Amino acid sequence: MRNEKEINPFTLEVVKDSLLAAGDEMFIALAKTSMSPIIYEVLDYASGLTDSKGQLLTQGNGVTGFIGMLTFMVKQTLKKYGHKGQLKPGDIIIINDPYGGGGSHLSDVGLVMPIFHEGELIAFSANKAHWTEVGGKDPGSFTNDSVDIFQEGLQFPSVKLYDGGVLNEGIVEIIRANVRFPDLSLGDMWAQVAALKTGERRLKEICYKHGKDTVLAAIDYQLDHGETISRKELQKLPKGTFTANGFVETDGIGNGPFPIQVEVTITDEKFVCDFRGSSPQVPGSVNCSFTGLASAVRTIFLAITNPDQDVNDGVFRPLEIIVDERSIMSAERPAPTSNYYETMLGCADLIWKSLAPHIPHRLAAAHLLSVCAVTLSGVHQDTKEPFLIVEPSVGGWGGADGQDGASAQFCILDGETYNVPVEVAETRYGVMLDEYSLRMDGTGAGEYIGGKGVIRSYRAMTDNQSATVTFGRNQYRLWGTNGGLDGSVNEFYIQKANGEKDGPFGVYPRYPLAKGDVLQLMTATGGGYGNPLKRPAEQVAKDVKNEYYTVDEAKALFGVKVDPKSMEYEELAIRQHVGGQKNEN
Amino acid sequence: MRVATDIGGTFTDLVYVNEKGLVEIAKDHTTPPKFEKGVINVIDKNIPNKEDISTFIHGTTVIINALTERKGAKTGLITTRGFRDILEIARGNRPDLFNIRYKKPEPFIERYLRREVDERLNYKGEELTALNTDQIREIIDYFKKEKVEAVAVAYLHSYVNPSHEKETVQIIKKLWPEVAVSASHEVTQEWREYERTNTVALNAYVKPAAANYVNKMQSELTEFNQTSQNFIMQSNGGTTTFEESKKVPINMVESGPVAGIYGAAVLGNLIGEKNLIAFDIGGTTAKCSLIENGEVKVSTDYYIERNDRNAGYPIKAPVVDIVEIGNGGGSIAWLDDAGSLKVGPQSSGALPGPVSYGQGGTEPTTTDANLLTGRLSAKNFDYDVDLDLVKNVIQDKIASHFGISAEEAALGIIQIANSNMLNALKLISIRKGHNPQDFTLVAFGGGGSMHAPALAKELGVKKVIIPIASPVFSAWGMLMSDLRHDYIKTYIARVGELKIGELMKQWNEIELDGRSQFAQEEIEEKDVVFHRFADMRYIGQEHTVKVPVPSGEWTEKQLGDVVEKFHELHEKNFTFRLDGTETEIVNLHVTAFGKVEKPVIRKIERHTTLEEAKIETRNVFFDEPVGWVETDVYQRELLPVHEPVQGPAIIEEKAAATVIYDGQILMVDDYGNLIIETGAN
Repeated sequence: MRNEKEINPFTLEVVKDSLLAAGDEMFIALAKTSMSPIIYEVLDYASGLTDSKGQLLTQGNGVTGFIGMLTFMVKQTLKKYGHKGQLKPGDIIIINDPYGGGGSHLSDVGLVMPIFHEGELIAFSANKAHWTEVGGKDPGSFTNDSVDIFQEGLQFPSVKLYDGGVLNEGIVEIIRANVRFPDLSLGDMWAQVAALKTGERRLKEICYKHGKDTVLAAIDYQLDHGETISRKELQKLPKGTFTANGFVETDGIGNGPFPIQVEVTITDEKFVCDFRGSSPQVPGSVNCSFTGLASAVRTIFLAITNPDQDVNDGVFRPLEIIVDERSIMSAERPAPTSNYYETMLGCADLIWKSLAPHIPHRLAAAHLLSVCAVTLSGVHQDTKEPFLIVEPSVGGWGGADGQDGASAQFCILDGETYNVPVEVAETRYGVMLDEYSLRMDGTGAGEYIGGKGVIRSYRAMTDNQSATVTFGRNQYRLWGTNGGLDGSVNEFYIQKANGEKDGPFGVYPRYPLAKGDVLQLMTATGGGYGNPLKRPAEQVAKDVKNEYYTVDEAKALFGVKVDPKSMEYEELAIRQHVGGQKNEN
Repeated sequence: MRVATDIGGTFTDLVYVNEKGLVEIAKDHTTPPKFEKGVINVIDKNIPNKEDISTFIHGTTVIINALTERKGAKTGLITTRGFRDILEIARGNRPDLFNIRYKKPEPFIERYLRREVDERLNYKGEELTALNTDQIREIIDYFKKEKVEAVAVAYLHSYVNPSHEKETVQIIKKLWPEVAVSASHEVTQEWREYERTNTVALNAYVKPAAANYVNKMQSELTEFNQTSQNFIMQSNGGTTTFEESKKVPINMVESGPVAGIYGAAVLGNLIGEKNLIAFDIGGTTAKCSLIENGEVKVSTDYYIERNDRNAGYPIKAPVVDIVEIGNGGGSIAWLDDAGSLKVGPQSSGALPGPVSYGQGGTEPTTTDANLLTGRLSAKNFDYDVDLDLVKNVIQDKIASHFGISAEEAALGIIQIANSNMLNALKLISIRKGHNPQDFTLVAFGGGGSMHAPALAKELGVKKVIIPIASPVFSAWGMLMSDLRHDYIKTYIARVGELKIGELMKQWNEIELDGRSQFAQEEIEEKDVVFHRFADMRYIGQEHTVKVPVPSGEWTEKQLGDVVEKFHELHEKNFTFRLDGTETEIVNLHVTAFGKVEKPVIRKIERHTTLEEAKIETRNVFFDEPVGWVETDVYQRELLPVHEPVQGPAIIEEKAAATVIYDGQILMVDDYGNLIIETGAN
């Protein structure tokens, strides 16, 4: 075998780029052929390549929440089939077991394919996608009032879907018999299989062209490159121990809030997150497995160190996670995990909150802190066919040093996620939208204000519709930082056709809607950054003109009196007591 | 005489056909902000008989400049009650996944200028709430008070039924004739309210600037010629008249760059090559596009300012499918934090430019690497090159880190740049299910000819063409263009439930629109040609595949053929097909050409020898094996026709050079194109 040093460094760089390009291609292929809006609009999936040991080389991401999960799937595959001769070309393994390599919830179905070259296992191609349906007690499968994993759908405990290229028809039949929209689920599965094969083909092409040894050297080079960049960033971070406390508000079946906490220790060598002392695993579905926790920590670690880099396992080598066994963020069978992501968000938020005051150039005040998942089912008024909406919601992000928070964005665990256009929703589903607009609630004031949440109002066009809403952050307002004020909470109301109004609620399973009832979804305003009295008065007047804040709010929160007609403004005396610092905006 | 001008960042290009039928080219400086002056200058200096100009075709950057520099009109939006924030909510996506300080693109229209009216249609286009015209009047007064200069109108479901938008436009035109107004259905008839609203917002935003520019151009031209027919290049690879261009100026957003792609298709047609990859390397970017069976691919999946960090702004205008990457001659080579070599996307630009320009550039670029390795000659350069300085910079910034020579580092820069470009070329070919062996690469722009032979061989392309006029090929493409309009209408129908009669009605209506538009542009009926496409997918999918479909009346037979064609294309693009799964039409797309008379490209006559064409023999640094190789250098204009040149060799022409490698063979064809056999298997 050739020594890495003997290979031209530029060739290694070229091979590395080819691997990244192969990862991108696998990712695009899946979106373009998927049958489910949750995949092609929300991009709730990830795909990538790992080395033969399961170390992530490249991951195409639609959402951040899956970062690192492919690794655990491959490692589980190796644990089960890694002994000699058990993996062969053409095998594809299917996994969604949250505690055994899956890491999230049953709805996320992963496929893993070993890639061989000249008879040697050199890499894995893997992907993981949110299927619209995997069976279980409720339409859409993931639910907010399950009490064990068995209510949440079919479990695939790392079994061979293809054995040496031969499809196990039995598994396909079991899926077809157990899920509510089998064409969607199986269509997505074929799309996933096609994307894996694309990855296999590309990697083999790269091996043929550059030779196996060069490719293996490039893989090592790539992982080391990731680690080097990560360590350099680590050196720039403030050193010490930082703590934060918080809550996972509810498990959906009446329990909670559950306390969670973190102690982050940063040294020149390590970034340690210690979650010990947090709540044990809970009866309802907000439990998160250790794999899910690892993804949450990786997400925020990337945000803090270097959001720009190519992600591979080398990057995470300095990371260490400590946690109690069977806690809410390291749950074990048979704890339900449907809404695992709300706890994941809670864990990411803890690290974020503990470091926000110390790393203002990378962090901001709190964002909506919930996926704000909505499931709405019923029958279409014209086609009489059943429909199912499964979607996350956009909300406000926090203000940060030097910039206002972004309005109407998906939470940190989503990413290249798209909302469903009103015109598409009204065509496909049995609903009309009365409103899709920014929500103005007067919160999130700061020198840099929190971004706005939204109001999205679905009017049911038929009777017997059912809405399951999981708005995780409903009791504790989004935190502001460095003197910025808190934002608001996520909540929803039901405006009934008969004039009654019900709510506000945060988490609610299967709320029945009759024709003409309106489900009014309202997401939170992000936290503010810095003292609102330091926001330039001219900017405050502009905010009033744009109706982001009212005349009264401008006066009370920002100390600026604005004439509602002429928009002329006057700074009130209270602004003189804020240290006279000039804003550079 | 047919004349084409193309405005670029630094130069304004001119291409025309002289009285002998030969193509002539010229360049002059671009003159911002009065771009029309540069156009007139280059014509003045090069064309003595300006009154002989019969047709004038123009490519302009005025639209893209107004957008990227935010120098458009103060624009107001009128929209459906409950939806004023469509532009600010956008789609909620965040390409920069791990960035907690993500900056969302700011809407082109501020919130206080986005006003709502009571009106509502359902998804079938049926009226639920009538248009409240009193509110329109109030909004007009408010906009006047706020000194708004352009108004966009976008209502929900107007792509099905535009009546409320039409009524609104009528009221505005009546009450406020001097304001520029634009309704979404006039610009795009596809669903998705954010994309449609943003498109009409941007169209309104550039409308006054576009009208101003086109009018000035017109009056400048009329000063010396009252009879010429004047056309502007649109983003779909075809032209439109000056008058029509002012109505939907957003269609000119990629006016210049697409003409080169179109030119490649025309050239292919001339020499019998139907399957082409067009490849254009400029100063800051490389662009490529795939032409299959002579057809330039056009879609409405276009964005500005979109990249892997930024969501950008969608524009649903028909634009030639181009993949563009930040890799051109001026791209900067740099080392990342971990010491890996990267090239681009940062560019040294026109100023200071590469180190070799001697204008104060301090960062090594691809052009510098090409000079140091002898691919480019300091003698054939617009600037006085200090080669020692170039060598020192590459040595200091790159080579010393790796402990190698400056020449080896320069070769590394070229290797990484080529790798970036190769990935872009793969993206449009192999990754879309095409076999590069079935394609010919047409390379142009300042850097196209230098990199193409090596890239083509890697890609598996057997033949490369460096066309005549390759450094100004976009203008050449314009010279050869027809009028073209693309009509894309969302029409959702499951094939199993489709009523053929209704579909035919839709096709016929669209084609009727096309005929009347061409009538306004004074194109005769016999010169109008339609091509139909249907965007199709399997039920449940979102993304579609563009399927060419038959003209004329259909029967069940044609419909069956269309479905089969869709299955085939789906398999080609995505490796699998789902026979038996229901298919669905989403958009109807009609491409309408208004054919005009074009110059006949003459064969060249040249009685020279290779020896006469030879400029010198110089050392060039090659890889495989790494080292200096004595290489013959030729003057392109003197190369004899049909005489093979064996690689390694370099062919120089003004503003460009072609590099062929060991084992490659180059020949000049009848028209003066360079044809290279790449040696790919």
